[in-house]
Amino acid sequence: MNMFGNVVMALKGISSNWLRSLLTMLGVLIGVASVIVLLAVGTGSSESVAKSINSLGTNTLTVFSGGGSSSSTGTKIRNATLTMTDVTLISDSNNAPDVQSVSPVISTNETATYRGATYSASVIGSTSSYLPASNYNISAGRSISSADVKSHAQVVDLGASVASSLFPTGSNPLDQQIQIGSSEFTVVGLLASKGSSGLSNGDAVIIAPYTAVQDQLTGQSQSFSELLVQGKSTATLSLAQSEVESVLAAQNDTTVANLPFTVLNQASLLSTATSSSKTFTSLLGWVAAVSLLVGAIGVMNIMLVTVTERTREIGIRKAIGARKSLILSQFLIEAIVISLLGGVVGVLAGLFVARFKIDGVQPVLATYSIPLAFGVALSVGIVAGLYPAYRAASLRPIEALRYE
Amino acid sequence: MSVNPGTEVESREHVAAPMRQRDAVPVIALSKIVKRYEMGGNEVFATRGVSLVVPRGEFVAIMGTSGSGKSTLMNIIGCLDIPTSGHYRLDGVNIRDLDDRQLSQVRNEKIGFVFQGFNLLARMSALQNVELPMAYAGTKTKERRERSERALEMVGLGQRMDHYPSEMSGGQQQRVAIARAIATNPALILADEPTGNLDSTSTLDVMSMFSDLHAQGRTIVMITHEEDVAAYATRVVRLKDGVIVGDHQRIAPHARAEHLALIRATAVHLDDQELNP
Ligand SMILES: Nc1ncnc2c1ncn2[C@@H]1O[C@H](COP(=O)(O)OP(=O)(O)OP(=O)(O)O)[C@@H](O)[C@H]1O
Ligand SMILES: [Mg+2]
Repeated sequence: MNMFGNVVMALKGISSNWLRSLLTMLGVLIGVASVIVLLAVGTGSSESVAKSINSLGTNTLTVFSGGGSSSSTGTKIRNATLTMTDVTLISDSNNAPDVQSVSPVISTNETATYRGATYSASVIGSTSSYLPASNYNISAGRSISSADVKSHAQVVDLGASVASSLFPTGSNPLDQQIQIGSSEFTVVGLLASKGSSGLSNGDAVIIAPYTAVQDQLTGQSQSFSELLVQGKSTATLSLAQSEVESVLAAQNDTTVANLPFTVLNQASLLSTATSSSKTFTSLLGWVAAVSLLVGAIGVMNIMLVTVTERTREIGIRKAIGARKSLILSQFLIEAIVISLLGGVVGVLAGLFVARFKIDGVQPVLATYSIPLAFGVALSVGIVAGLYPAYRAASLRPIEALRYE
Repeated sequence: MSVNPGTEVESREHVAAPMRQRDAVPVIALSKIVKRYEMGGNEVFATRGVSLVVPRGEFVAIMGTSGSGKSTLMNIIGCLDIPTSGHYRLDGVNIRDLDDRQLSQVRNEKIGFVFQGFNLLARMSALQNVELPMAYAGTKTKERRERSERALEMVGLGQRMDHYPSEMSGGQQQRVAIARAIATNPALILADEPTGNLDSTSTLDVMSMFSDLHAQGRTIVMITHEEDVAAYATRVVRLKDGVIVGDHQRIAPHARAEHLALIRATAVHLDDQELNP
């Protein structure tokens, strides 16, 4: 019998019990679709984590008090603080050639008020270099300037959430006076929204000259809560980190190992986060694999029942002269058609579902998931269909005919 | 070879002469066939050394009590089962020398099997059922269709070719099964209680069909419980407890007259068939 006749016979076999064939296809379909969707969700969420870390600035170092080993040595009880001297030393390109800028940071949580509207925001006292270093863009007005810092000017740039909460829509916040704590500040600029990253709300900030923050809010003090150091490039960030560390070590008469400060590298934070979200994706992948496996077992089960039920039919076919290979190829074609149809529709369903946000995550299609899911479904369907068919076709005709 | 219809007897001998050599090889040659089943430690011997030779053109009825091993023997003859020991030559070929693929070919080309339970494929029409063995043989679609239609017309089902087995009576289904068995033009037709599930009218139909086939020169082996069905055969073999207890060459008077009439009526046709096997 030719291939065509064989395919026709297989299609007849499928359509003669269409409900069962449909259910088998459904098993394949769900397995394939869930692999595609779950992997897309994993990829989507890891991309959004990477994006939110990127929005913090990938070429920055954050220096803050407290080092791993300073207390364990017991020799330096001295309170290590970050001072203007540190800022000046790190800014010096002879000391730290790979550093672009250093922004001292004083941060405090304050309630901002404008005509009865209040908003609790994080107030960041810094210099003008803070904005580019932490990826803030001005959407209206201007950034705080070096002159503002020098003159202790009570001016602020408002984060998008702060501006929208304090000011009614349509009104212009520029040049308006808002109250922060008990002091008046003038709004000179608005920050473009960074979007909520899930880690922290980058839009709930107020940025002011650190001098004014010290004057009005935290009180006079020479120390900063942290320094935001911008490297020349992401590639040389590790170099910049060791330069900063050695400057600070020299300044505090200690070694880099005993540094009373922590220098956090955003790039390494990004890679950590990326690798952890990769773990998440592969976890989802395993969940998907399990669902594919369950689907596969369903397919195997149905195929097994189908073939077992048709053992008599196989017996009749053998009795009138069908070769084993022919019976096998007939069941093989049936299995291929069922898994192929289920797989194709499963891929389409997966592509469709992956277009919608799932639990706040916009799925991003992982290209490899399509051949993966499809290949697994197809091979499982074939093995599941072929194995029982092989067993039945290997029976002597009379054994198959007697089968009940 | 030209045949003069006016001198049947002469021409038959004339035809038979060159066939003698082929006829010398029996279609079936069973030698000490033993079939043993093991059932939970118990040994059951379905046949205990059956030897039987069936020459070409014979119509053999196998009779015997239930459980005497008739079906077992028939399944071995039909290459559906293999004996535990003993030799079986089909058309001179030792069945043990054949592999699975060759056995399929033998079943397909040399044997037409008619089962007691019909064994038609439920999801195929009568025509498709009859076509199936020829499809396996690789016969061209057109020829396959023509031969199937001819076979179905021969069994009187020309009007029901597109019916499914579930839409037919038992007698009709059995006639489809016979059409399937004869459409491939096999040397040997095997029938395991072909009338076992049929009423007396259908039995008559089916048996006259076997008589026709026999008259055309086919070798037929048929199992039956009924003496009047066995009366159509030229030879009756009796089994008991897995051994042959009786073997009679016989042609019942009424059947013989019918045979002769049919042989005459189909003499030309017969020659055609034997010239183009
Ligand atoms: N598959 C099998 N397994 C075990 N024993 C079997 C099997 N097939 C047949 N037998 C035994 O072999 C013996 C002969 O069986 P067989 O079917 O050949 O009888 P039969 O002459 O055809 O009977 P019936 O007239 O009832 O059809 C019986 O005793 C039966 O129990
Ligand atoms: Mg029987």
